[in-house]
Amino acid sequence: MRVVMKFGGSSVADGAKISHVAELVKKHLHGNQVVLVSSAMDGMTDHLIELAEMGLKGKESQVKDEIEKIRKRHSEAAESAIPVEAFRHGALSTVSTLLYDLERALNGISILRELSPRSKDYVLSFGERLLVPILRGALQARGVTSRDFSGGEAGIVSDENFGDARPLMNVTRMQVQKRLTPLLEEGIIPVIAGFTAVTQHGDIVTLGRGGSDNTATILGACLDADEVWIWTDVDGIMTADPKVVKNAKVIPQLSYAEASEMTVFGAKAMHPRALEPIIEPHIPVRIKNTFSPSAEGTLIGVDQQVSSGSVAKAVARVSDVGIVSVGGTGMVGLPGTAGRVFEVLGKQGVNILMISQSVSESNITMVVRRNSIQKAVNALEIGLLSKGEVKEVSYEDDVSIVALIGSAMRGTPGVAARVFKAIADAGINVIMIAQGSSELNISFAVNEKDGVEAVRALHDEFKLGS
Amino acid sequence: MRLALVGFGVVAQAFTKIIAERRQEILKRHGLNPRIVAVIDQGGYTVNPKGLVLERLLQDKASKSTVTEEQFKNHDLQAKISLVKEIEADVVVETTPTNLKDGQPGLSYLEKALAGKKHVITTNKGPLALSLPALMELAEYNGVELRFSGTVGGGTPILEFGKRCLVSDKLLSATGILNGTTNFILTRMEKDGMIFDEALAKAQKLGYAEADPSLDIDGFDTACKTVIIANWLFNRRVTLRDIKITGIRNVDLKQVKDANTKGRAVKLLGIVDSALKVEPKEVSRDDPLCVEDTLNAVKFQTEYAGEEIIIGRGAGGMETASAVLRDLIAIRERMAEEIMA
Repeated sequence: MRVVMKFGGSSVADGAKISHVAELVKKHLHGNQVVLVSSAMDGMTDHLIELAEMGLKGKESQVKDEIEKIRKRHSEAAESAIPVEAFRHGALSTVSTLLYDLERALNGISILRELSPRSKDYVLSFGERLLVPILRGALQARGVTSRDFSGGEAGIVSDENFGDARPLMNVTRMQVQKRLTPLLEEGIIPVIAGFTAVTQHGDIVTLGRGGSDNTATILGACLDADEVWIWTDVDGIMTADPKVVKNAKVIPQLSYAEASEMTVFGAKAMHPRALEPIIEPHIPVRIKNTFSPSAEGTLIGVDQQVSSGSVAKAVARVSDVGIVSVGGTGMVGLPGTAGRVFEVLGKQGVNILMISQSVSESNITMVVRRNSIQKAVNALEIGLLSKGEVKEVSYEDDVSIVALIGSAMRGTPGVAARVFKAIADAGINVIMIAQGSSELNISFAVNEKDGVEAVRALHDEFKLGS
Repeated sequence: MRLALVGFGVVAQAFTKIIAERRQEILKRHGLNPRIVAVIDQGGYTVNPKGLVLERLLQDKASKSTVTEEQFKNHDLQAKISLVKEIEADVVVETTPTNLKDGQPGLSYLEKALAGKKHVITTNKGPLALSLPALMELAEYNGVELRFSGTVGGGTPILEFGKRCLVSDKLLSATGILNGTTNFILTRMEKDGMIFDEALAKAQKLGYAEADPSLDIDGFDTACKTVIIANWLFNRRVTLRDIKITGIRNVDLKQVKDANTKGRAVKLLGIVDSALKVEPKEVSRDDPLCVEDTLNAVKFQTEYAGEEIIIGRGAGGMETASAVLRDLIAIRERMAEEIMA
């Protein structure tokens, strides 16, 4: 079987964990061709963003100190994870070269006081690139022949949308096959820095949303892998946030559509962008726990590959949101008001999560991220209040969205009735409701203080914990 | 609309009072919901992205003489100036005291606000008189409005009148009584027979003149306003250095009485024609320009419509604050157009 395995930042957070990952991979090698993708050490990407901003402010000596911290962290990890001197030496010398390049880049930023999306991507790419030589060393020290690559070196070529690049899939397929297939056939394990790619001109970019997961699925698709395994620090995708619902459990199987839906609602799963490359070739994804590898995890695939199970699969909650309402009798029967509302918000870069309009048309209510409420309200007031069609723009910032997710709800009558009866029985007031015609989920907004209770009520009603 | 106030003196407080008292009306009539998200004053600054509580601001200023809370005490001017560039606000309202030497700190605040692509309203004549052509260019380059109608005529819309009403005509000249203090002094000399020093003392007693009256009586205030009119209405790229200034310090009672017997009055005039100057001159008593006491008046000479005159009260906190609101409404219209374009 050909498997692409991706390890998240918490799985490679220090030397002991990297050792554990190397052992884990070694166990799965028998009869398999394995491609490894790794995230940066936990917290590295944020650390690099801080560094870039320090550079932008010209704080050169502070940048130097921080680079030393990064050097120390990676050296310590290598010391502990690579017990063979020669391999350790090799890894550390690569790390050293990379840090030299990073420091030069940051000096450039601090001299020019300029941080373009392109330079920022270059800086961010170091998180993953610093980790892969260490992981490679750890494998080699355990007798596993391995080579490390940046995303670009592995053959991932993308567009020039720095900060959120998308792969040019056909170019990438050709390059990746040319570079990696011979290694796999020789039994060499390629270790690839996730999150990174290059443009056709050879400039380093990052894949933005979806990140290293995206690298894994791109490689999976390009190498016609049998499965993609995402190793993380949880047992799989849960029926609800286990911090909120005591008897939440791992969902054994999900369809691609359900999994996409879950991520939007903030479940610790995969970004829809990352699922994209493998949906068409029908390559299944397993979410597994690095620290509890025997647990079955969650399998994501097409409907035929996964059993549909119960009506609902999970209850999700988004809590950092608020509601913005636009109202006024002037809106009634006036075509284009909704268009103008969305246009104003779109121009301001405000993302709308949920929309509802009453049939009387006198009110449009939208859910937006909490940090963009003020921007949204301000733009709507300036754009629409004076025209008279809108009389009032108001907002509430203490709101949660709760959603029941599951593809088997489609065509099953009575689901909505059960949802709202359960919520009403819990004494919770529903502020707004939305359900798309795909019927993959029913979402509604409640006061933030009721969010947790609403999740529990639905989890119980649909017996997700049993 | 999110506003950052720089300076929280008489004008800014009056402005805050107006929007606190007339919130509903402003919303209904102008579709404007002003939210003050930051105030910078001498003590430091206070910030709230959702909007500060206006009543609280006014109370704090009255009781503690600053709006700054303990944790935001900051006397570092550079930090405050950078805040103006970086804060998330649509409009910066700058009302710091006038400084005719170098325009600071107002000038730096204005430059940073414009560079940060914020619309700017100012009532501060110093930076404008010294650097208006440069500031107008910065505003245009950054695609934002620079408005200052409170600097000339206080609440009387002299600049708007000139810009809007005379749009189809050609302006030939402007002559104005632009300073209430000097006009009060000259009026009292004429009517009550006071000598200059007596009239000045009376103006000071009534609060029309500052303890150091030089800005008014030496003609600098009038000169600033004349420079602003020349730039805004005549497209003349001039500053305070380009204007010839004569104040009223040397106007004596005899001169005033002589004029009176000829049916004329001595007035301190700001004049924009082929020249640019401030000087005391005789004006016919029959001329509507010849207003008394603290009133201001400007006479525009146009090519087709002839003479047009606007008269009104020229100063005062509330009056100037209403001019700020007027500028704000104009900016709102532009922002609405841009947001909907």
